[in-house]
Amino acid sequence: MWRVLGSSPSADKTWKVFWCRGRGQNISRVMPREMGPDGAPGQVVPWRKVLWEHQPFPDNYVDRRFLEELRRNEGIRQYRYWAVVKEAGFVGQQLSSVAIFITLWLYMEQGLLSPERLLLTCLLSTLLGYGLHQTLTPLTKSGCELRTRLADLQSATIFLSFTFGFSPVLKTLTESVSTDTVYAMSAVMLLAHLVSFPYAHPSPPGSLSLNAALFASVCLASRLPGALHTFAMLSCALLVFALWPCLLQRLREYAPNQFTGLCVAVCVGGVVGLASQSPGGAVLLALALGTVTLFCPLLLVRLQRHKDNIHGPWDEAEIHEELGHILHS
Amino acid sequence: MVLRIFFPQCCNQADSGLLVGHWMPGHDSAVVLAVIHYPFIPGQVKQYLQQMRSQSGVELSVLGSWSIPKEGQEHMESFLRDLSTIFPQDCWLQLSRTIGKMGFNCHVIYQDLNGSTTSCKAAKKNGKIKGCDRESGEDNEEELGDEEKMILIHYEQRKVMQSQLHPIEVPDTDPPSELREVFQTVARSRPLFFLDRYDDGPLKSTHWQSQGREASIIVELLKQASVPLCLLISWLLSKWTRICNFSLFNLYPLRFLSSKLSTCDQWSYRTEHMRTLSSVKPAAGHTPFMRKANILVSLLVDVALGVLLMSWLYRDNRISIIANALLPAADHVAKELEELLQWLMGAPAGLKMNRALDQVLGRFFLYHIHLWISYIHLMSPFIETILWYGGLSACLGITFALSLLSDMVALLTFHIYCFYVYGARLYCLKIYGLSSLWRLFRGKKWNVLRQRVDSCSYDLDQLFIGTLLFTILLFLLPTTALYYLVFTLLRLVVVMFQGVLHLSVDIINSFPLFAVGLRVCQPYQLAEGVKFRVLCEEPGTALHLLMEINPLKCSAVVQRYRVPTYSCYPKDSWAALVKKLFVGELIYPWRHKTTKSD
Repeated sequence: MWRVLGSSPSADKTWKVFWCRGRGQNISRVMPREMGPDGAPGQVVPWRKVLWEHQPFPDNYVDRRFLEELRRNEGIRQYRYWAVVKEAGFVGQQLSSVAIFITLWLYMEQGLLSPERLLLTCLLSTLLGYGLHQTLTPLTKSGCELRTRLADLQSATIFLSFTFGFSPVLKTLTESVSTDTVYAMSAVMLLAHLVSFPYAHPSPPGSLSLNAALFASVCLASRLPGALHTFAMLSCALLVFALWPCLLQRLREYAPNQFTGLCVAVCVGGVVGLASQSPGGAVLLALALGTVTLFCPLLLVRLQRHKDNIHGPWDEAEIHEELGHILHS
Repeated sequence: MVLRIFFPQCCNQADSGLLVGHWMPGHDSAVVLAVIHYPFIPGQVKQYLQQMRSQSGVELSVLGSWSIPKEGQEHMESFLRDLSTIFPQDCWLQLSRTIGKMGFNCHVIYQDLNGSTTSCKAAKKNGKIKGCDRESGEDNEEELGDEEKMILIHYEQRKVMQSQLHPIEVPDTDPPSELREVFQTVARSRPLFFLDRYDDGPLKSTHWQSQGREASIIVELLKQASVPLCLLISWLLSKWTRICNFSLFNLYPLRFLSSKLSTCDQWSYRTEHMRTLSSVKPAAGHTPFMRKANILVSLLVDVALGVLLMSWLYRDNRISIIANALLPAADHVAKELEELLQWLMGAPAGLKMNRALDQVLGRFFLYHIHLWISYIHLMSPFIETILWYGGLSACLGITFALSLLSDMVALLTFHIYCFYVYGARLYCLKIYGLSSLWRLFRGKKWNVLRQRVDSCSYDLDQLFIGTLLFTILLFLLPTTALYYLVFTLLRLVVVMFQGVLHLSVDIINSFPLFAVGLRVCQPYQLAEGVKFRVLCEEPGTALHLLMEINPLKCSAVVQRYRVPTYSCYPKDSWAALVKKLFVGELIYPWRHKTTKSD
């Protein structure tokens, strides 16, 4: 086994790399005196690890103290299983929110859910969520810019008016595009939403993830029978993909216990909702949720034992484009 | 050291006399220009040469003697040698011919300052100098080696005098080549050739015009007649310019309109040409002369073609036939366009278009065609009159007729242009909107100050509206693009037709017909160089070469003498054109591009 131990810049700007065989104990045997190419002339002058001084040693000389500074796994955090599961709950609930959205769309498409009822539900949950958000927002939080109620109202007006105004246009937008194409596009976009979602800091939602989700919801909403359906669906999409992660982030910060419960509730809701439309999809969703929230954290904790990072007083050799040059010379 | 003597062919048979010519400094060569015959009075010869020198600016001198032996003229040797003392020269040539032999006998006599002479008989045999006898020249034997050679180069004086060696402009830093000096010397010694045998003067000489001057009475009369004509034309031009500068014509809409009409362009171009032609001063130098001649010839050809066209057009009532055919043709085009729009409003080529936008665009364009047809029908009673008066413009030249045709095509296809502009603007808007919204989609923005794409955090409402618009634009793009594509193709057809017309007008305007005609009829006048042919290589005589003129290549003639016009060739490369088409920028006929882009 060859390892790169160190390197030093020599005069002609090429990096000389020290290669030593074996692990630590072998190194200590190889190390003394004949470490440098010419050997050290005499041990009278103590060697210092500086390059600005003239010393009777070659540039690439190191003495036996070299490995004393070796450190392993510096600054490691020991994960505990349930803490990781709790954090992974956010990923699970996002997956589940997408499932809920799809379920709602399926209901709308089959006419099982009237747009008025969906709008009413959305309105109520928005008001509820807004109230919760406002209560959770600390009044003493200074330095961070606080959105006023007026700005919120303005944003809401813009959303509603634009969506309402464009919904007839959106309704006819994908008329001539085949249904399969629309489904494929939506699926890809929702996947892109899930992949690019900023799970660590979801509170302003990431541009790409939100845009992808909105694109997918516009595609899906244009398949619905009426303009009001489209409007309701888009409002719902705005709620699920834009506002809900913000509220959840607040909850995670200020009420961790309720956050866990909410995550579990959303996950269960997503599975149950999907089960009412397609049992196979529900099973798949449940499997995915189990994998993400239970199995992956287990894997992480297990594999952490094998972590072995070494740090030392050397520069790590990076060999990229000059590889051919080094091999030939 | 080789002595080169350029000898005119017309003096081959001349009577004995003195060789008049020019020693070229720097080169060991002399140009013989004429032979002055016996008998003469040396003083008169000197006076005549002095006069010629001042007239032509060439350092003319007596180079030597020329003798053709006749009966009763033996024992010339001493007489000829005496001549060299009358006309003192460093180097005295003695050329003579013997009956029955082609080659000349050449003697060179070098005269030192102290008066001692050395003569050298040049005779060539198998590449070696044989006989070279010297007289009383013990002190400068070393200077004259055995390699003293002489080459006689025969040239045709008429051709050399009339020809212009190319390239015309040579950098001043280089000393002129020997050949160029020969050509210049012959061309500048024109006064020497005015003396012909009908003159009553005391001297008789032989050169290319010694049998009488070459000139044409018609040309001379035309030259005389052209002066009042030029005056008249320039007076008319000045009046016309004053009318043009009248402030009413410089108002914005008229000026804009005239800059767009190719007839006006052609008119101003022709005015400029007439101004060049009508200057009373004769052209100075070869290039202005050729330019004037080219313009004149193309003008004449243009007018001749135009008159031909007119004679065809105004016979057999053709104007009314054309006018009657024009209206059904316009109707037909409109009908075809309507059908095309109906096709586009369906599902063209199985493409999935947005039905609502498709209908809107289709109806808009249909209404436009309707408007257009009404306009044409409104115009229909006047079309024949317009054509009749427009046809009259052909008497000014076929280029005017073609420019008028181009303008009429532009006016008749104005609806296609409008369609194209609408389609292009819509498409351009979509492309720009999509490109900037795509950046928003990815959470980026264009930084204007640094000219690069930066990442940016948008607000929620910005993102929402941006995505909404992006989706709409994306799904509507194919419809717009299809309309744009179809109308761009139509527009390109019209532009190509107009481009062909403009190109032909430009060719007629700028093609150097005079120079090409000169090249075909008198190829020696435009010389690119010379070639030498061995004339005779008899033993005992000098080497005789014949100098022939290499004419300039035809492509070089066209390139050199093209009359410069405003460039109507496409400024952009094809790739730039395709890129413009792709982005949706407007394209114009090639002519207006220079004025459009600053």
